[in-house]
Formats: sequence, C-alpha cells, structure tokens
Amino acid sequence: MIGELDDYKDLVVKCSHCALCEAICPVYLEDMLETHVARARVDIIDQTLCKKTMPVTPRVKDIINRCLLCTSCTRECGAAVPVHEIIIAARHALYGGKRQNWLKRYILKNMIENRGIVGLPAYLLWTAQQLHLTPAGFPSIILSTFTSKYRGTYPASSEKRQKVAYFVGCATNSMDPETGESVMRVLAHNGIEVVVPDKLMCCGIPALAEGDMKSAQNAVRNNIAILADLDVDAVVTDCTSCGMMLRAETGKVLPADDPLLKKAAELAPKIFEVTDYLNKIGLSPAPTTMQESYTYHMPCHRGWTPTLDTAPIEVLSCIPGMEYHAMSEPGKCCGAGGAFFTEYEDLSGKIRKRKLDDILSTGVKTVISQCPGCRSYLASALGRKTRVIHPVTLLRKAYGL
Amino acid sequence: MKTAGMRADELEKDLKHLLGGEKVKTEPEDLLAYSSDATRYYAQGKPDAVVLAESVDDVCKLLKYSNQYEVPVTPRGAGSGLSGGATPIKGGIVLDMKRMNKILEISKGNMTARAECGVVLANFSRAVEKEKLFYPPDPQSMDVCTLGGNVACRAGGPRGVKYGTTPHYVLGLEAVLPDGSVINTGGISVKQANGYNITQILTGSEGTLAVITKVNLRLLPLPPERKTMVIVCDSPQLAAELVSRIIYEGAIPAVLEYLSVGAIWLMNSFRPIPVAQDGQAYLLIELDGTPAVIAADIDLIKSISVKMGAREVKIIEDNKQAEGIWKARRNLSPLVLRVYKKSISEDVTVPRDRIPEMVKAVSEIGASLGIPTGMSGHAGDGNIHPGVQLAEITPEMEKKAEEAIRLIIEKGIEMGGTVSGEHGIGLHKSQYIEKELGKIQMDLMKRIKYAFDPKGIMNPGKIWPEEKA
Repeated sequence: MIGELDDYKDLVVKCSHCALCEAICPVYLEDMLETHVARARVDIIDQTLCKKTMPVTPRVKDIINRCLLCTSCTRECGAAVPVHEIIIAARHALYGGKRQNWLKRYILKNMIENRGIVGLPAYLLWTAQQLHLTPAGFPSIILSTFTSKYRGTYPASSEKRQKVAYFVGCATNSMDPETGESVMRVLAHNGIEVVVPDKLMCCGIPALAEGDMKSAQNAVRNNIAILADLDVDAVVTDCTSCGMMLRAETGKVLPADDPLLKKAAELAPKIFEVTDYLNKIGLSPAPTTMQESYTYHMPCHRGWTPTLDTAPIEVLSCIPGMEYHAMSEPGKCCGAGGAFFTEYEDLSGKIRKRKLDDILSTGVKTVISQCPGCRSYLASALGRKTRVIHPVTLLRKAYGL
Repeated sequence: MKTAGMRADELEKDLKHLLGGEKVKTEPEDLLAYSSDATRYYAQGKPDAVVLAESVDDVCKLLKYSNQYEVPVTPRGAGSGLSGGATPIKGGIVLDMKRMNKILEISKGNMTARAECGVVLANFSRAVEKEKLFYPPDPQSMDVCTLGGNVACRAGGPRGVKYGTTPHYVLGLEAVLPDGSVINTGGISVKQANGYNITQILTGSEGTLAVITKVNLRLLPLPPERKTMVIVCDSPQLAAELVSRIIYEGAIPAVLEYLSVGAIWLMNSFRPIPVAQDGQAYLLIELDGTPAVIAADIDLIKSISVKMGAREVKIIEDNKQAEGIWKARRNLSPLVLRVYKKSISEDVTVPRDRIPEMVKAVSEIGASLGIPTGMSGHAGDGNIHPGVQLAEITPEMEKKAEEAIRLIIEKGIEMGGTVSGEHGIGLHKSQYIEKELGKIQMDLMKRIKYAFDPKGIMNPGKIWPEEKA
C-alpha cells in the first residue's frame, strides 16, 4: 500500500544503480548533484528510514521534499522501482500527514472534501491574492465553481452514442470552470450523455503528495463508491493527474484486504482523459476547418494509458487547418509539480525557464496541455500574448460551440 | 578517515576555502550518493568529500592540494560505469566532472568536435547530428554517461561492430596531472605521429593517471537512413553462427546484437517487440547508410538467415517502434532486476568466430554450477556480455556466481579473448588482468602509472589489485 514504507522495502533495493534516471529527473538536471537524483534518494530512504543505519537529518527531509513527484523516473525505470510511491511513503513515515503548517493543512482538507478551493479558504486566498501575498504563479482564485452550475445528467445534443461520467477535478471546479464548460459542450456535441456526479471529492493526489494517507483514503473511498455504482461506458476527466490517480494509484492507496479494492479494479479500465477518450470513440461530427498553430506541453502524469501522451495531437489533427509545431522535448517537466512550486520557488522557476525557452522558440502563441497545474504555472510566466489552454478548448472553438 | 594524517573537518575546511563552499559537499547523504557507480555491490567505502568541478582551474587547484597532502581523488562522470571504477574505495575526494558540460566547437570542415569532459554523450550526439555529422560510440548508458567517462573507460557500445569504439575517435585531450599542471595531448588533426601517444595512454586509464578535462573527437558524415530488423532463431547456436556468417558474406550492420530468449522477454515487457516470443535466441540488427545499401543488406541478411534455418526475419518499419526496441535494449541491465535480485554483467570479449563456442561454454558453466546465466550483447564484435544472475542473495549463491565468473573469464582468455571489451577493469576485473597480460606487462603499466602519479593519489586500488604492504 502506498504510504506504508514497510511494503516497499524489497522494491527500494531493486534499484540497479544504472543511473539512467540522471537523464530525466528535472530536479537533478537543475541541481547537477547526484544526491538529488532517484538512485540516491532511494538509497538515502533505505538507509535512514528502512534500515535506519543513518540518522534523519534536516538534509534528509529536504532531499525527500525536493521531489516534484513528476513520476518521470518511475515511468522510465528499467528495474521497475516505483520511486514516486517510495517518496510518498517516506513523506508519510517522516510527517504522518503533517508536513505543512495548520493553515495549509486546513486549506488542503477543505480542498479535498469540497473539490477545490471554495468557501472560506477561497475568500481567504482571494483576499491574499488581491494583496499580492500568494506565491508567484499561484492560480487565480474565483468564487463560483463548475459544480455549482453543473450537477446531474446532461443529454447528448445529437444521437446518443455513449454515456460517460465526468470527473471534475479541483482545478477545473474551482479555478478553471471554462475548461469544464468546453468538455460538457464537446461531449454533448459528439453524441455523449454526460453525468456530473454529485458529492465527489478531490481525486486525492494532493494528499498523497503530502504523505497524508488518511485524507487520500477518505477521498478515494468516497469516489470509488460513487463512480463504481454509475451505469456508464467510461469516466472521463480533463486532468491527467486526476486520471492517473483514479486509474493507476487508487487501488494502491487502500489496504490489501479492503472490500472496495475489487470495485476500484473494475473501475480503473474505464477511466480516460477526455482527448484520449474522444480518439477512442472517434469525433462525430467531424469539426470544420480552423486555421490555428499550436504547440503541446506533455503533462508528466501521462503514463497511465499507452496513448495518452500524444492524444491531444491526434484529436486536434481531425480539425482541418490546425498546425502542430512541436517544441523541443515536449515531455520535459514545467516545474510546477502541484504545489511544489510554492515550496521551492527558485528551483521551479529554473525548471520552468527551460520550458519557456522551448515554447517561445516555436514562435507559436497557443500552448495546449491537459494539466491544469502546468497551464496556470506556465501562463503566469508567459504573459498575455501566449495563451495556455486545454486541447478541448480548441475543439470547442472548431465546433463553434 | 582513510587519508593519512588529516581529519575530515580539516579537509572540508581546506576544500571550501580553495574552491568555494558550493562546490564542496560533505554531508553524509552526499557521501552515500557518491559511494558507488552502476555496480552497487562494489560500493566498499564512502568518500570524505565530493567536489563539483566547474572549470579546469578548479581541477588544477584541487589536484595540487590533493597531491601535496596525498588525498586520494576518484574522478567521476555519470557514475554509470559497470566496473566499480568510480567507487572511492580509499576514501578521499570524489571529483564530479558533470558540471563541465559545454560543447566548445563542432567543425564541419574538419569533421571534428571539442567538448568539455562532462558533456552527456546523448546531448553531444544530438548536437553533431544537427550538423549532419555522426559520432558513433553508443554505450548503453548514452543518455547519462559523459564524454570524459567514455574516454577514460574506452567505452564501446553496439555500434562497435561497424564503427569501433571511443578510442578510435579520440584525437586529443586536455588533462590535468596530479601535480596540477595542464597538458594538451595529440591535437585536432586526424593524423598525428608526434612521439609517444599520450592521448591513447590516457584513453582507458580509468582516472588512474590524470583528470581528463577536454576531449577532441573525430566525426563521420551522418548516414542518411537507419533500419532495424529482428531475426528469430530456434537455437542459440544458430543465432551465434549467423553472426559471423552475416559479416563474412559482406553485410556490415551498424549494430548486431545477440539476445537470449530471457532478454527478449524482459525487453518486450518494457516496450513491445513485434516478433514471436518463443524463439530460443534473437539477433537485433541496425543497418545504416543510403537506402540502396540498406535494401541490399536486408536482402543479403534475409537470404543467409533463411538458408541457415532462421524462423523469422522481421523488418521494423515503424520508427517509433524501432526507437522503443533500442530503448528497451539500453535498459536491459536494470530490466534483469525485475526478475533477479542481483545481476553481474561480464564484459569478456572473444574473436567473432569463437562466439558459438563461447555461447555453449557459458551455458554449460551455468548448468554445472546451477546458476542462471544469460548472454546478450554486441555479438558482432565478439563482446557478448555473459551475465550471471542471482534469484536470492545468499553466501552460497555469491560463491557460485564468483566461480562462474572466474570460469567464464578463463574460458574467454583461453579462446584468445580479452577480459574487458568496453567496460574497463576497475575493481571488477582487477584480479584477472594479470592472467591476460602477464607480469612483465603489468609491471610496465605500474611504471607508467608512477611516471604520471608518483604519489599514487589518482583513483587508487583500480585496474590491478592493491599491493599488500
């Protein structure tokens, strides 16, 4: 189970020490210090928290915190060491869910239960933002959510082809309802009936990042119980991190004897990111011509279906007139890492700088990405001339919805 | 502290004063991170300090100091070596060279390049390919390993069969001697006959003579096209015999890899390989050149394979799929750990015509000791990487593994082979090198070492076993 370091003892020593993680760890590539690459992190966790041959020093804590949980090393590891899960377990072992101060924990708890920053925390953060007290790159707080508008079942606008549930994540719900609007319209236009289930919580991934297993389990239990009982062909999300959590991590958050595990396993193959899903069923009707150039920033949490990484390019290639300009290394991390950038502002800024250079050298003014964290973090540095949007937004525009 | 007469806190203070605090790391977590290379089982000691060099000047200052106080220095690239060569077994300083990572010049006219030693090989290859040039050496750690490390270890790779290995491309070096003086060996001309070839003495010296800081490399024109093919065989012997036959008949693949059935299974679990999974051995081939040359080679290889009884010859048309297969190949060494607890990859290399015999010998040695062995490697150049695998790490299995390795290496040397084709000697093979080279040559090597490094501070304990006092 994620969070229980004991369950990872054998996997920790699986690392072959091949060093190939040096090619992909965004933190290492910035720091250029081997202590900050997966191979060493895993060894340090093994010695300090598993075998306890070395003491837990403030430096050890920093090494464990200084990880974006981008999952690049896990995705590419030949020996199949689940590095990000080991980091989460180490954070749990170190802090027991109390890595942050009480105020941040209060905001997180509220976010997980209400799917986003809503209510009192929203007012607090909104006020802080007006006074320029939030960290640079922090997404704009708005005071009306997607789920305050959408709840229940929405019919297909043409002949019904499928029925899906739309899992609306925290970011879309409380900071970017426009993307949610686009998802609703594009799905309906494609003959899909959409259920927006009530009472869902956050997917739980922000709690995992804190090693807060209690909150993660709480969210996961709530969500599986609701989603598994729906009679739908698929569950779609616009957010790659929510999708990864629902499809690939949810089962690992629960203890091995949990009765909900079976439901979670049955549900997992139905989870799709919305562009990946649209490619599977095929766009119908076909969009009309739209002249537009775009570039694509691949979210890090993309390894949970084999087609997800290039799904937006594939779906947008159905729009005649669209031109894709690949940036160099589209899969390179942008530095946001959920809330990581608020904790390691300088480091994240340096990682983002490389991404910005790659984006700007394409000369294109539209960047697409399915991760709301990446979008807002990149947008805050790109200024008004370049927009960063979800691919479904372009689809909506092409359909004239 | 293993360094004679100096305390760790004194060393730290001195180094920080000498180089600036940010370039010197001495916390226990750093020392752990720099205690081994890609052979974690050879991690036998921690350094007392890690130094992150950013300039030749840093290296000069550090070596001058280390030489004066006789502090061991272990130079390090990515720490991806497979010989234990970058492990600081005598403590002292690990000198991380990865921050010296600038490509200084790519000359299209002269078809050469100059770069700092810490440049990552894959970044270098991509940069020269943008100029339609080609740097063939391709050790499987190419995504992380550094040019300096490649030169120091005479790194090879699958393309060795057609293009040779790193030493064939090194024209000159900038290096810092243990006393802190800088030498520029060789040059940037493709022909040189200027006295002893110090360039090639440093090439393969494994950090025991000097610290390589810049490299001058020869480049080739970029082949216009590449094609991947897989041959499925029903017996290891057939695959092994095909290797020398294909080359003898005149097709020279850029890469000609022999893969055991286990290797294919593991690679397939990482990236799909669209061939029958129940063959007994496989050849993985890359051809490069003009489309006409590639087409002719494919025809030739196909007809030889069919004639000799191969089951399937598959051309991989989809480039993305081919890339995936090569990526899986590069990951083979960590992939083995999905199944086994420990895997030791040997580097013994035999003349190409002895490969069938070697394949047979390795599996017999494994069978007689009851220990799993595998053979997957660059068969085209005789460098077939026999591996010994442990399902459980017990003293008994460790002993068997050691015995199997000894027998495999002795067999290889007996066939006229060498103990290492491309990994270098390091710690891993130091006990076998004298068997291959003889005492007189070993003594000569030691005198060369003394000429460069009279105080013995450079990467002590490597290449030959430490002499007992």
